[in-house]
Order: sequence, then structure tokens, then C-alpha cells
Amino acid sequence: MLMTAMEFAQFPVLSVILFSTILALVVILLIPDDRPQLVKQVSLGFAAVGLALCLYVYFAYDTQKGGLQFVERVLWVKSLGIYYFLGVDGINVPMLLLTAVVLFTGVLTMWELERRVKEYFALTYLLVAGVYGVFMSMDLFFIFVWYDVSLFPMYPLIAIWGGTRKEYGAMKLTLYLLAGSVLILPGILYLWAVAGAHTFDLFELQRMGFDVNVQRIAFLMLYLGFGVLAGVWPFHTWSPVGHVAAPTAVSMIHAGVLMKLGAYGILRVGMTLCPDGLVYWSDLMALLATIGIVYGAFVGLAQTDLKYVIGYSSVSHMGIVGLGLATMTVDGINGAVFQMFSHGVMTALFFSAVGYIYDKTHTKMIPELGGLSKTMPKASAFFIIAAFCGIGVPCMSSFWAELLVFISAVKTYPIRGILAVSGLVVSALFMLRVVQKTFYGEKNPRWEHIPDVPLSLASPRIILVGILVFFGLFPRLILDVIQSAVIPFVNSL
Amino acid sequence: MNSLSVYLVLGAVLFSLGLFGVILRRNLIGMLISIELMLNGANLNFMAFNRFLAPEPAVGQIVTLFVMGIAAAEAAIGLSIILALFRRLHSINVEQARRLEG
Amino acid sequence: MMWLAKDPVLLAASACATLPFVSMVVILIFTRRYRSMSAAISISAIAACLLSALYLLWTLRHAPEPVQYQWAWIVSNDMIIPFGFLLDRLSLLMLTIVAVIAFLVQVYSLGYMAGDPGFSRYYAFQSLFAWAMMTMVIAPGMLQLYIFWELVGLASYLLIGFYYEKWSASQAGKKAFVMTRLGDIGFFLGIIAVLLGFGDLGILSMNEAAQAHRIAPSVVTLSALLIFCGVVGKSAQFPLLTWLPDAMEGPTPVSALLHSATMVAAGVYMMSRIFPFFAASPDAMAVTLFIGTVTMLLASTMAMVAYDIKQVWAYSTISQLGFMVMALGAGGYFAGVFHLTTHAGFKALLFLCSGIFIHEYHTNDMREIGRGGGRKLIIPMVCMTVGALALSGIFPLSGFFSKEAIMGVLAAKPNKVWLVAGLLGALMTAYYSFRLIFMILFPRQPAHHDAAHQGTGHDDHGHEAGHHGATFWAMAWPVMILAGITLVLGFFHKDLEHFLLGAGPAVHEAEFHGEGAGHGLGHYVLLFSAVSLALGGIVWAWLEFGRKGAAQEGFLRRYPKVEALFANRWYIDHAYRWLLDHLVYGGFTNLFTRNDRRVIDGAIDGICRFTVGGGRVVSFLQSGMVQYNLVLMVAGVGAVILFFVL
Repeated sequence: MLMTAMEFAQFPVLSVILFSTILALVVILLIPDDRPQLVKQVSLGFAAVGLALCLYVYFAYDTQKGGLQFVERVLWVKSLGIYYFLGVDGINVPMLLLTAVVLFTGVLTMWELERRVKEYFALTYLLVAGVYGVFMSMDLFFIFVWYDVSLFPMYPLIAIWGGTRKEYGAMKLTLYLLAGSVLILPGILYLWAVAGAHTFDLFELQRMGFDVNVQRIAFLMLYLGFGVLAGVWPFHTWSPVGHVAAPTAVSMIHAGVLMKLGAYGILRVGMTLCPDGLVYWSDLMALLATIGIVYGAFVGLAQTDLKYVIGYSSVSHMGIVGLGLATMTVDGINGAVFQMFSHGVMTALFFSAVGYIYDKTHTKMIPELGGLSKTMPKASAFFIIAAFCGIGVPCMSSFWAELLVFISAVKTYPIRGILAVSGLVVSALFMLRVVQKTFYGEKNPRWEHIPDVPLSLASPRIILVGILVFFGLFPRLILDVIQSAVIPFVNSL
Repeated sequence: MNSLSVYLVLGAVLFSLGLFGVILRRNLIGMLISIELMLNGANLNFMAFNRFLAPEPAVGQIVTLFVMGIAAAEAAIGLSIILALFRRLHSINVEQARRLEG
Repeated sequence: MMWLAKDPVLLAASACATLPFVSMVVILIFTRRYRSMSAAISISAIAACLLSALYLLWTLRHAPEPVQYQWAWIVSNDMIIPFGFLLDRLSLLMLTIVAVIAFLVQVYSLGYMAGDPGFSRYYAFQSLFAWAMMTMVIAPGMLQLYIFWELVGLASYLLIGFYYEKWSASQAGKKAFVMTRLGDIGFFLGIIAVLLGFGDLGILSMNEAAQAHRIAPSVVTLSALLIFCGVVGKSAQFPLLTWLPDAMEGPTPVSALLHSATMVAAGVYMMSRIFPFFAASPDAMAVTLFIGTVTMLLASTMAMVAYDIKQVWAYSTISQLGFMVMALGAGGYFAGVFHLTTHAGFKALLFLCSGIFIHEYHTNDMREIGRGGGRKLIIPMVCMTVGALALSGIFPLSGFFSKEAIMGVLAAKPNKVWLVAGLLGALMTAYYSFRLIFMILFPRQPAHHDAAHQGTGHDDHGHEAGHHGATFWAMAWPVMILAGITLVLGFFHKDLEHFLLGAGPAVHEAEFHGEGAGHGLGHYVLLFSAVSLALGGIVWAWLEFGRKGAAQEGFLRRYPKVEALFANRWYIDHAYRWLLDHLVYGGFTNLFTRNDRRVIDGAIDGICRFTVGGGRVVSFLQSGMVQYNLVLMVAGVGAVILFFVL
């Protein structure tokens, strides 16, 4: 038994996960246009393989040992010091699992897609390849390249399959994110040049250490650059607009995974390489995060479009991630990473639930819906459960994340922490308001003919709910993994 | 005035005539011919330098041959563009082809 | 699983903390279509919990030390949040109360909810509540308590908004959740304050350390006050009291279980749970006493003018919770807990009786019920009178003993204001409860209408009894059991006191003042005055509502301004509405939304427009003539050459 495990560890499982998505992309492109069903089946198959492998990595990751595992490191361009360097630690293992879960459920959610099926799934796989690449790579060059790979497909995905104001949303999103990467690239190159060691290897650079002033400049660039993608206030306005415009599963992947990419970038690149820069800017980070938490909730109160509501709740929840990172404590970063995971699952559930409702009613305006619980109790239940998770009801996974973040935030930044905690009341108010206006009330005769969601279509949502509740009841299963990376990380700060 | 200068002056004259033609002629074919003139001016320079200054490696001749090859390709592409334009605009006057106007 | 079997105490505690949850999951996922199966699952789960609770109470009744089990729920660096059970006398008592009433209410609901389309959902939520409440009660640490406290709030939200197609119901659920959440923010911050100032969230260690003055007094006061915010929210104290009357939108059994007997008492329970901690801070205790008194008086005045039968009991619940908080704030640990116990019994009884009336007459208005012939329903009428007598504190019902205990504690305070307030409260309590009873018993309505109405009422009853016999008895039995408990519970006064205070010297000490002064001559004067005031309240109600020819208009009718003040809940709701409209919606939301649209998006769109406009301007240079470009190019090259040559 031990032997097989050892042998399997030699197997380049991370590369397989990464290249399976590219293989999927190629295979999907080779399928003839007139067989959309086959495209979906192939997509689902590859997603399932990815999920299985990510689950394997998640459970095979040795939390006792900690550190980087499943490492694959090959020198790629010698003159520049670029390495093909994949590895996982406690921080990105949950992210990989999240990506796989969201991809799998996203494919299931789009099962009823009819327009340009092949192109849609091909672009999705391109997007996911970028996401996996960023999460796995430990080389700055590859992180940046994969990062841009993941940004590019968003534009066609939104502009072709999108909904409300899709061109505007797609353009705004793309411009914002590219502006972010315009800041990241010089940041990375600056660090590379200052180090002068001709290496893009993250850990070699970390060992080298940088001058305080260099760190301050570089951290600010990286923070703002990645922060745009993480929805840091005041660079958040692309997120609601983009989510509203995007098709369901793209919103799921985007809000669920891509926004985490930003936070992950801040943590993995910015905070790892520039700890002193972090110390210098942490006050600003905490301030922006707190504003984001409270602000997102208040603006959410005024929205009338279901997807806008979710978009602003994402702003608020990503603020919690930012606040956790800014505390620079084990609890705070634990909570932040946990929140990245649970928020990913939660928003995926949100968008997935809205997706079904929108597909059937062709509206997502709250005043037009109303009383949906009567006609489609199951479809409504999924949204309501996600809303509870968003409010921070205990025994749902995001509760634990918020708990950890808030405890350490009040400890580190008392006033901002208290403000952020008070934001919980507003977020409860705005979530419950939406739930009430959309799902409660008299039966709306307009939607009476709509069937409730059948089991086959409900399956992605069931999986997501299951994950939320499972990690809510047994938080140690994920927290111990996260912690195995965060404790050494904080000690090295 | 030695012989190299003669060739260089001749090349410069050819080049300038070509440039003059490219800029002033409104006929697309004329412009193409003028471009050929410019290329030949350059070729003459190459040959002259090769002949008088560095005869051994014969790099100048090679480049000239290369340029001639490119000129042929360029003429082919240019003519096909002109043909396409003519089909579209029924004219080979460059003033008609102003789609790129801002 | 072997270790479970070896330790029956642990097994029983785990049963309480898991079975209802399992029942909820099973009902929600599998048996939503099969109503009777859902009810059977839920009731058998709660019955098992009841047996476990009784078993625990019996086995551990003489245990000198609290029994505690803990497992790490999450571990983050050096912070460990445990999940576990703390079984001491207080938690066992509360566990039993919750299990008994939850069981009775679930049985009662078989009748009350029969035929409701959401029957299975109802039982699933009931199970959720039972699970959360019981796990909260036996929590060994403040964080676990907080977690299940929140879950109880969730169950309350779901059950208040059970008839979600009714707008007012969903509104009430939202209000309840948000208002208690407001208090819970304070609670949460209080927990963090304890964590930062002391470092351990175990209830026993907190109490011990506070008692031994090992925590800085400022920390104790600050965290006690913050934690008290949670009590204010959950137990509907001033100023967060208005959600509770609205919560009556839920089904009546829910009101009985959650919004009178157990859930709202959770605040009081939590306070007594960490009573020594509170007691270590005189300032916090003073605030507590003040808030409790204000709440008690305000709610009593509101109850005096309400006509909705459930509203009256809701206000009365608030005011009785105020009594408990007063008792605890005055240092009377036993008095508070004892009143909590008796109140759980008689208030559940009152609600369940009202539920029978509501079920029968389809109205909440006590005048309508009276006119409909409410007194024909003998069992609920008698039981409700028993409950009302207990509520008023008439010997020998349970309420008498607990109220006396509270009065004793208040009397021991050097400042007699609190005692006067308490006696005034007792008077008002008796007045409003018998106002309700007399209005149902002696309906005052034109005779011409009378016969017809009475007839239908009677018919209804006969119809019900004949046709839905089982339904009626499912509701009647729990009511009778509760009435029995109310009748006898008072006589176990001394036993309970002995049971609870035997718990530890820490609590005893805090109790000292209260009990010491309670005896002697002053005790009898006090007893006499309290009972006579209660009787006075009843007589007053009789004069205004009961006797023949009484106008059935309260004396407050003569002061319309005051009546309006009481009926509008002292305009507290108006204040909230105003704040919500002007501060939240009109203020921050509006400001931030505009900021998003105008400032942030405006700036971004402005930059984009500037870029596009700049492109437009520059594009004038593009005439589209290739040759012009060429000229420029040649000129440019020439310039570069000149630059380098010269």
C-alpha cells in the first residue's frame, strides 16, 4: 500500500491535471460541430478526471510534513532563469480542489446550452487551464503567463454568450483586468531585475530577500495589480457588471475561482516576496478591505438585479479575504484562505441557482420575480441556502472563515475590525431582503407553468451545497491543510 | 570623382526618382514601378560597394539577388492587391482607396 | 463507536446533539412527500432526546463536579475551538426544559399543523431548532454557545416566516433575524474581548477566573456589557424588543416553543450560564438590572392595550424576560433561573391554549374568540386560566414561587426603586392577563348576533370533536400536561434551589445577598404585598372587563394619547423605521450607490471616453492617403538622420 502511494507520487499528477485541460480543449475542437451532446459529455468527462485528480492531491497531501509537495521542476529557459516549476502546499491545494469543483459543476450547469456549444466549452477549458496554471506554478514567469491566459477567454465568453449589456461588461472587465496585469508585469520584472540572479523561481527569489524600499514599491504594484482581480475597493466595479453580463457558468468560474486568483496572487507573489512591503502597506490593505466589506453590503441593498446583488456580495466577501491577509497573523490568513475556498463554492452556488431561474423565467429582476418558492421550491432552496452561507450562518463553511478573520482583525485593527463585524448586520439585511422579495410572498401567476428543477439539473447545486455543509460541520478537514502552509509562512514574515 | 562615387550618385538618383514617383504618382501601378526603382537604386549601391570595397565575400551580390527575389514577390503581392482593389473600386487611382481615413 | 457504548452519559449527550439534526436532514432530503413519516421521525428523535435528557438529569443529579467532554472542532495556530458537552446542574435543568417542551409542542403540532402543505418542512425546522437549542444548552465554551445561538436564530427565522407567502410573516422573520443579529454583533465582540483579555472561552474557566479576580475588571465589565447585547437581542430586551411581538406571525406552536418558552429564554440562560462572570462586574450588573426593569415595564404597558391574543402573550413574555434579567441583574441567580423554568412551563401552556382557540376560530382577536364562544372549549379555557393565574403569581401555582423569589432579591437591593418597579409590574401582569381571560369568558356583544355566532362556534366545536377527534386531543393532551406541571412545579421550589445551588460555592456567594434578606418579617410583608397587588390587578380587570355590565374598555381608553403610545409600542418601531429609511437606505446605501455609479464608474468611463476622444482627435491626421503617410515617414527618417549626423 505504501509502495503504491510512493510510486504514484512520482507520477507528475500536477502536469497531468494542467495538460488534461489543454487536451480537453484540443479534443473539443476536433469534435464536429453538429454533435453538441458529445462536446458536453467530453467536457464532463475531462472535468470529472480533473476533479478526481484534485481530490487525490487534496487527500494525498501530507499535512504533517507540510511544505511543497508533488514538485515538478525543470529548467526551461536558462538565460532568463525560467523554470517549469509546479508544486502544491497548503494554500493552493484547496484552490485546486475549488477550481475542479467549480469546473465540474459549471459544466453540469451549462448542460442545456444550445448556442455554439463547442466554442463555449473550448474557451472554458482555456480559461481553466490558465487558472490551474496560476495555482500550481511556483515560477513568476509562468504565474504571469497563465494569469494572462486565464484573462483572455473572458472577453469572448461574455461578449458572445452573455446577457445584460454584454459588450459593455466584457469590455469593462477585460480592460480592468488587463490594467491590473499591466501593474503586475513591471512589478515582477522589477523584482527579477533587482535580484539580478537570473531566476524567476519564487522560492529562490524569496530566499534572496529584497531591500525594504524595493519591497514597498513592488508590493504596491503587485497588490494593486492582483487586487483588481480580487475586487479590492475601489477597483471593484468591473465585478458586478461583469458577473451580470456573463453566462451562468462563466459567472461561476469567474466569481468562484478567478477572483480568488487575485487574492492568491497577492498572497503567493506579493506577500511571499515582499513581507516588508506588506508590513508597510498592511494598514492601507485593511482599510480598503474594511471599506469593501461595508460598502459592498450597503450597495447591495439598493440592487434590483439578482446577479448585481451577488456581485456586490462578492465585493463584500472578498473584502473579508483582504482583511484576513492584512492582519498578517496565522488566524487571519487561515481565515482568508478558507474564505477564498468557501466563497468560491458559495458564489458558484449562487450563480448556479440564479442560472436556472434565469433560464426559465428569462428575467433576473427582483421585482418581477417574487413568490418563486411556491412554484419552484427546490430551485429557490438552493439560492436561500447560499444566502444563509453568505450571511455567515454557522455550520456553513464561510462562517468559520469569517470567524477566524474577524477575531484576528479585531485583535490587529480594533476599529476597522469592529466596523467589519458590524457589516454583518447589513449583509444579513440585504441577503434576507433579496430572499424575501424574490422567493417569498404570494404565488406569482406568471411563473406558474414553470417546472421545478429536475434532479439531473439540480445535481451541480446539490454537490455545492454538500461541500458547504460538509466543510461547515468538519472545518478541520480543510483548515489543517491550509494551516500546514500558513504557519511556516507567517513565521517567515 | 572616382568610379565608386559615380555609382553611388547614380544609385542615389535612382532612389530619389523612385521616392519621388511613389509620393507623387496617383496611379497604383506607377507607384509599384517607382518602388522597383528605389529597390534598384539600393541594389546598385550594394553592387558598387561590393565591387570596390569588399570584393571577396561577395555579400553585396548575395543581398542583391535576395532583394531581387523579394522584389519579385513584392510585385506579385502588390499586383494582386491592385487587382483586388480594382475589382472593388473599378479604379487604380490611389485617391479612391481611402478606407483608412480616421 | 465503542467508546460511546462504554459511557452512557456521553451517549445520551451525543444523542441530544445529533439525533434532531439527523432527523432534519432525513426529512428535508427523503421524506418531504411523506408527511406522517416526517412527523414520526422528528417526534421520535425528540422523544429520544427527552429520554436522554431525563436520564442525564437523573444520573448526574448528585454529581459534585460538572461533567465535561470536549473535542477540538477547529484548531488554528494556538486557538482551539472545542465542540463538546458541559453537563452541570444548570445545563441539565435547561436541557430537560427544552426537551420536555419541544416534545410536547411537536406532539401538539400534529393537531395544529394537520393538513398544512408545509407539514414536513415544519417538522424539519422544528428538528433544526431542537438540535441547535439543545446543543447550545450543553455547550462547554462561549464560541460553541455562540454558534448554536446563531443557528437557533436561523431556526427562528425559518419558523417565523413559515407561512412565507404571507408578506407580513416573511417581514417578521427578517426583522427578527436582523434585530437579533444586531445584538449578536455585540455578543461576538464580547467573546473576542474575552478571548483577547483572558484567552480562554471555556465557561467554567471564565467563571472561575472572574470570580477569583484573575481577569482585569475593565475587561470583565466591557465583555460582560458586550455579551449582554446578545441577551438584549435574543431575549428581546429594550431597545431591541419589537421583533418578538412581530414574530407571532409564525404558527402558534412555534410561538409557544421558540418565542416564549425556550429560544427567547436563551439570552437569560446564557446570562445565568456565565453568571459569576457577570457578577464580577457591578457596573455590568447595574446596567442589566436597569435594562431588565425598563423592558419589563414597557412591555407590560404594551400588553395592556393589545387585542391580539398572541400579542398579549408576546408582550407578557418580554416583560417576564425582563423580570428574569432583573433578577439576575440584582444578583438573584436562583430566582432568575427558577422564573425561567416556571415561565417556560406556563407560557408554553398559555400559547398552546391560545393556539387551540386560534385553530378553532381562525382569528387572533380575543374579542372575536369570546364572541365565537371561546368558553365552550372547556379544556383550553381552564388550562389557560391556570396559566394566567400562574403568570399573575397567585398561590399555589408555579409563578407565585418564582415571582416571590425575584421580589425577595429585589427587596434586598438598598435602592427600593427596583422593588417598586417589580411590584408595579406584578400588578400590570395580573391586570392584562385577566383582561384577556375575562374578555374571552364574558363576551360583550349585541344579543342579536350572539345566538348565531355562538351556534356556529358550538357547531364548529362539535364538528371538530366528532370529525377530528384525534386532532383535538393531540392538542389537548400537551396542554393538560403543561397545566399539571404548572400546578405542581412550585412545590419543588426548595428542591430545585437545593439542586441548583449545590452546584458550587461560586454561585452561592453571589446569591448570598438575595437569600439572606428574603427571610424574616420583611419576607412576609413582601409576600403579602405582592400577592395582594396581583389580586388587585385581577379585581381591577374584573371591574373593567368581567362583571356584568362592564364596558370592557380599559381605563386607558380615557387617555387616548397614552393608549396610542402603548399600542404603538412607544414608537420604538417608528424610530427603527426612520433610522432604516434615513440612515441605511437613504443614507449610506444611497450615498455608496451614487458613489459607485458617479464617482468610480464615472471616473473609469471618463478615462475611457478620454482615450476614445483622444483617438478621434489624432485620427484626423489619418487622411487615408497612403502617400501622405509616406511623406511623413520620409520626413521622419530624414529628421532622425539629421539628428544623428549633426
